Amino acid sequence: MRLATYLLPRVLAALVTLLGVSVLVFLSLRLLPGGYADILLGPFVTPEARAVIAQRYGLDQPLVVQYLRWVWAMLGGDFGVSMVTQRPVIDELLRRAPVTLQLALIALVLALAVGYPLGVLSGVRAASRRKRRDFGRVIGAMGASVPDFVLGSVLIFVFSVWSLWFRVGGYVPLGVDPVGNLRTMLLPGLTLSVFGVALILRTTRDAVLRVMTEPHITAAVARGASPGAIIRRHILRNAAIPVVTVVATYFGFLLGGAVIVEVLFSVPGVGLYIFNGLLNRDYAIVQAGVLLAAMVFITINMLADVLYALIDPRVGVSR
Amino acid sequence: MPAVNSPSLSVLALLAGLGLALPAQAENVITWGKPAEITGFDVHVAGTVASWEMYQMVYETLLTNDDDLSLQPGLAESWEEESPTRFVFTLREGAAFSNGRAVDAQDVIGSIERIRNPEVASYWAHQLGEIESMEALDDRRVAIELAQPHATFLPALAHITAAIIPVQEYQAGEFDPTSEMLGSGPFMVEAHDQDERWTLVRNPHYGRAGYPRADRMNVAIIPDESARMAALRDGRIDFTTFENPDAPQMLGATANVEHHPIQTTNYYRLDVNALSEDSPFHDRRVRQAMNLALDREAINMLVFNGTSAVDYPVPAAFGKDACRDLDTYALSREERLERARALLEEAEQPAPQVELMASSANQVLVRIAEVAQQSLAEAGFDVQIAAVPTAEYLQRVFTDGDFDFSASWLAGYTDPSMVIQWWNPKFAVWNLAFQEEVPELSDALAAIRATPDSPERDEALSEICAMIDQGANLLALVSKIDYVVYRSDQVEVTLADRTGSANTWQYIAEFAPVE
Repeated sequence: MRLATYLLPRVLAALVTLLGVSVLVFLSLRLLPGGYADILLGPFVTPEARAVIAQRYGLDQPLVVQYLRWVWAMLGGDFGVSMVTQRPVIDELLRRAPVTLQLALIALVLALAVGYPLGVLSGVRAASRRKRRDFGRVIGAMGASVPDFVLGSVLIFVFSVWSLWFRVGGYVPLGVDPVGNLRTMLLPGLTLSVFGVALILRTTRDAVLRVMTEPHITAAVARGASPGAIIRRHILRNAAIPVVTVVATYFGFLLGGAVIVEVLFSVPGVGLYIFNGLLNRDYAIVQAGVLLAAMVFITINMLADVLYALIDPRVGVSR
Repeated sequence: MPAVNSPSLSVLALLAGLGLALPAQAENVITWGKPAEITGFDVHVAGTVASWEMYQMVYETLLTNDDDLSLQPGLAESWEEESPTRFVFTLREGAAFSNGRAVDAQDVIGSIERIRNPEVASYWAHQLGEIESMEALDDRRVAIELAQPHATFLPALAHITAAIIPVQEYQAGEFDPTSEMLGSGPFMVEAHDQDERWTLVRNPHYGRAGYPRADRMNVAIIPDESARMAALRDGRIDFTTFENPDAPQMLGATANVEHHPIQTTNYYRLDVNALSEDSPFHDRRVRQAMNLALDREAINMLVFNGTSAVDYPVPAAFGKDACRDLDTYALSREERLERARALLEEAEQPAPQVELMASSANQVLVRIAEVAQQSLAEAGFDVQIAAVPTAEYLQRVFTDGDFDFSASWLAGYTDPSMVIQWWNPKFAVWNLAFQEEVPELSDALAAIRATPDSPERDEALSEICAMIDQGANLLALVSKIDYVVYRSDQVEVTLADRTGSANTWQYIAEFAPVE
């Protein structure tokens, strides 16, 4: 019951957010110059041809009618068909979702594997009396300030000249060739992870610093507990709360925001599909893709809220 | 990998021991690194090269062209011009779609009727001219009667947009050309993952015995140039194309990577907005000044490393002399600049501020714009470059007419009379938003449509070229070269030295893996 009370306002807020996203993506697509008729016919698009294409896809209807039809169809599970292939968009999104999920997981694992220990180490060192150079801040600043398209372009250039085991492009499904898959997915995963490393490192470092000033840490030191035990038993758990929140947000961002990296490395995931849909003005793809990405993002954040409450019983469900 | 698989004896023995059936013959596989995905499935509708290239694997046209751009038999093994307006085509004996059904006269009639149907929105109906009637003389012979002579009727039938589709299946609702492909070409589609890959397999009913040589063609969609280069280097793809001449040069040192430039009848061009009163180019003198001030040779040298050539409204690839003696081409750079400045003074616009638009999807166009910007500055033009998404470029240029001038390229097709028609906006239609109609030019263009290739037509082309140059509304820049790059250790290729209608892979049926 308490969980339901905790979740209900969040679910309602999520629905309102999704409604807003749907209106925003629908309208902004229509405001973009050019349409599918331009892409299909190139310069040969005439007013008559444009009218035929518009009628074929219901684009000659008033915007309100188009929007309501789209929403109504979605409620029935119909996310529309691609104008390029005439195939259901949802089938294509579901086919591509595992690719994006895998990319996001690789990036997340790399970011956690590097960012979290470095963050703990940086926090502990920063809090110690023997202050040395704070590498955490340097790495954090560098990781956060290098755009992924710059890093990705550099990696593509380097590894397209010298393969060094990695592959640029030429995605191979995991089930077909696991090694080949890793060879193509590690570079985009690495590119995506750099921002995550910086984010997790800085968040962890700040959390560790804050926890280390709390009285129970002083008490533990006074009891003669070893530094390792203090870190394991007291710091890691307490510092995990903000990190979980950031990781959840970051994972949601990865699932919905890997567009640039997928395009750069020709990874056939959801991001590339949405990007090409946008270029082709294939409205159904972009609308469904963005809305589903928003749903995933919101769901992950709600799960993080629940997890947050579970880690720290003082907040959330018990409140 | 394209090489023929040759399982070892032990594997054969193992398979035999397991009681597994062995394939009768190992497959020949070739892999194409395609730079762009199709924009639609409908062969009669899509107006993009990326789509045409894929259609050419699956469909056939009645006629084709050879390296000299002369008409050759396609699905029609012969054709007869009974009069300037009546043509009889005889279909190839045994021609069949990949589903096994014979191609018949009704497929030809139905395909052409579909192209002419306004509901289909095919842009190619214009190029076919006005068709009075079509008649099936028997299963293999079709007679087509034109309302008036139309010299480009036959060349128009050789373009992939005039492909013959299985009309019987289409009309029965068994085949939907907007979502699938079914033709009589060398390959048929086995699988397609949008923006990712295609799998094409041999059409067992293809008309040419023993072809295609490859059993299967994998097509990887790789838009990124660097990624295509990497795929060629490590042998994941066998062949691809580049628009950027730097790519084949950068690959030059890679072992077994060869390149072959194909001359095309296409050329890079500038569309100039003569109709917008907001544009300085509304004044014909400003357009003429810009035309004179353009340094086409600099575009060739700086963008294409000298591998292209200055081109003309009548494409150089046709070997005609039209246009070459015009001031735009014949005068020295200094003389042209002097005249350009004088024209700007006369127009009381000594330093016109103009925006040069290009699609950001094509970096070659952006580089052309940059060189044009520099060369025009010498005459006094202040050019700002706007690289915009393709859809925006298309709408602003071809629908809204909301631009000053833009860089693009023009398909020259296979006959000078086809490409030259673009200077009549009422015929071309696509340039109505920015092209000024010049009645005497339109009349001359209408007349040449009915004139077969002859010295008289060459003379008329020269006169037309002079009128085109005067209008300075749609400017030819340099020839468009297709840079084909392939792995010579993996694939045997047959490539044309010259193509029209963007038919780069016209000999694809002859491609085979190196054994």
